[in-house]
Amino acid sequence: MSSIRSRFLALACVFFMLLGVVSCGGGNSNSNGSGGGKQGGTLTIFAASSLIDAFGELGKTFENQNEGVKVKQSFESSSTLLTQIQQGAPADVFASAAMEEMDTAVKDGLVAASPQVFVRNREIIMVPNDNPADITRFKDVANPGVKLALAQKDVPAADYALQILDKANAKYGDDFEEDVLSNVVSREADVRASVNRVVVGDADATFGYASDYTVDIRDRVKVVPIPPDLNIVATYPIAALKDAEEPELAGKWVELVTSEEGQRVLKKWNFEPAA
Amino acid sequence: MKKGSKEGPSPRTLSWGDRLASGLATAALALVAGFISLPILSLVIWTVDRGAWRAMTSPVAVDALLLSMRTTAISMFIIVLVGTPAAYVLARADFRGKRFVDALVDIPAVLPPSAAGIALLLTFGRFGLVGRYFDAFGVTISFTTVAVVIAEIFVAAHFYVRQASVGFAGVRRDVEEAALVDGAGRLSVFTKVTVPLAFPALVAGAVTAWARALGEFGATIIFAGSFRGITQTIPLAIFAEFQSDIDAAVALSVLVLGFAFVVILAVRYLTRKATEHED
Repeated sequence: MSSIRSRFLALACVFFMLLGVVSCGGGNSNSNGSGGGKQGGTLTIFAASSLIDAFGELGKTFENQNEGVKVKQSFESSSTLLTQIQQGAPADVFASAAMEEMDTAVKDGLVAASPQVFVRNREIIMVPNDNPADITRFKDVANPGVKLALAQKDVPAADYALQILDKANAKYGDDFEEDVLSNVVSREADVRASVNRVVVGDADATFGYASDYTVDIRDRVKVVPIPPDLNIVATYPIAALKDAEEPELAGKWVELVTSEEGQRVLKKWNFEPAA
Repeated sequence: MKKGSKEGPSPRTLSWGDRLASGLATAALALVAGFISLPILSLVIWTVDRGAWRAMTSPVAVDALLLSMRTTAISMFIIVLVGTPAAYVLARADFRGKRFVDALVDIPAVLPPSAAGIALLLTFGRFGLVGRYFDAFGVTISFTTVAVVIAEIFVAAHFYVRQASVGFAGVRRDVEEAALVDGAGRLSVFTKVTVPLAFPALVAGAVTAWARALGEFGATIIFAGSFRGITQTIPLAIFAEFQSDIDAAVALSVLVLGFAFVVILAVRYLTRKATEHED
C-alpha cells in the first residue's frame, strides 16, 4: 500500500516538474513577445534548405531590429515548399534555390510582388574525409561502385546536378551521365539530407552547393571542385507571398536579405552576391 | 438500488442517467468512426475527381508496392520464426534480468521511428558499431533492401513478441503438463498444444506487426535511404511524390489503403476458418 502510494507521489512529482519546465519555457517566450511594445507579429519564411544557416543568422538579426517580432522559418527543398504553398500553407515569404519553382509560384498567382534574385550559388562534389571511393577529380564520380547520394527528383540541387552531367557528356563521352546516375544509391528529400549522407560516411559522394560546405562539417567532409566550364550558377529568387498574413514584415525581410548587411551574412556562408 | 438491481440492469429499467450515458457513448463511437472514415473518403474522392488512377500503375507505384510486399513478407517470416520461441520464453521462463529484457522489448514501440533510424544508422552504417566490420568484409547494408528489412523488423517485432507472449501466458500450464504426462515431447507439446491454443493472439500480433512494418517510414528513410525498387517502399514513395506530383501521392495512398484492407480481410477470414475447424 505505502509503496504504491510513494510511487504515485514520485510519479506526480516528476509530472509536475515537467509541467514546471514547460510552463517556465512558455513564460519566457511570452515575456519576450510582450516586452517589445505595440509592434509584434510572427513572420513565416519558407526557404530552400541550403539557406538554413544564413537565414538562421539573419532571422536573429531581424528579430533584434524589429522588437516583438518572431521569425519562424521552414527549411525544405524548394519543390516541397512550393507544393506546400500551393496547398495553402501559411507563409509570408518564399525563398527558392531555383527560378523554376518561383516561376511556377508567380504563374499560379501566389506571389505579391515580382521576385528578386538575391544570391547565387555553385555546385560542388563532397566526399567523406577518408574518401573511401578515392574521388580526387570530378570525373571520378562516374567510376563503377561509387555510392552517390543525390537529392530527389525536382529538388533544385539535383536538377542542377543533372544539368552539369549533361554538359559533362560532351567532355567525357556520351556514357558519362549514365555511368554517374547508375552510381546513385539514394534520392534524399533535400540537398542537406544528401550532404548528411556524406557527413555520416555512408555515401562516397554527393552533389551539394558551395554554401553547404559549412564550418561544422569541414572536419568530416572534403570538397572536390566541379570544373568551372561545367558548373552552373544557381540563382535564388525571393518574394513576398500574396496570402501573407504579415505583408509589411515580409517586405522588410526581403529588404534585409537584399541589403548590404544581408549580403554580407550570405557571403559569410559561401554564397555569391547576386549582382 | 431498486429491486431490478439484483438481476442486473435490464433495458426497461434504464434510468435517465443511464440513457444519457449510453447515448453519449454511442455518439462517441460515431465520432470515432467518422473521424477515421472522413480522411479515407477524402483520399477516394480526390482520386475519382482528378482521375488519379493512372498513377497507380506508374513504375514508381508498382516498384514501391512490390518492394513493400517483398520486404514485409521477409520481415514477418523472420519475426515469427524468431519471435515465437522468444515470446514463449518471455512468457514462461523465470530468469535473472527478465524485467530488463521485458522492458527492452517495449522500447521500439515507444521510440520515435526516426530515432530508431538514427540508431540503426550508427549501428549498421558503414562506420557503425557493427557495420564497420561488415564493411571490412565488403558487405554494405546501408542503401540496400536488407536495410529496409532491418528497419521493419526493428520497429515491428515488438508488436508480435508482446502479443504472442501474452497469448502464451494465457495457455494453462496444466494443459501442457497433461500432454507431457501422456508421453508427448516438449517440442510437440509446444507445436501441437501451446501454439494452437495461443493461435488467436499470435495472429493478432502478426497482423499488428505487419501493419507497423508496412507503414514504416522514419527509420527506413533515415537508415536505408530512398531509391526506387531498392529501398523506396510505399510510404517513402508517397513522401517523394508529394513533393512533385500530389495526384500520384494520393493514388499511392489509396493503393496502400486497398492493399492493407485486402490483407486484413484475408487474415480475418482465414483465422475464422481455422478456429471453426477446431470446434
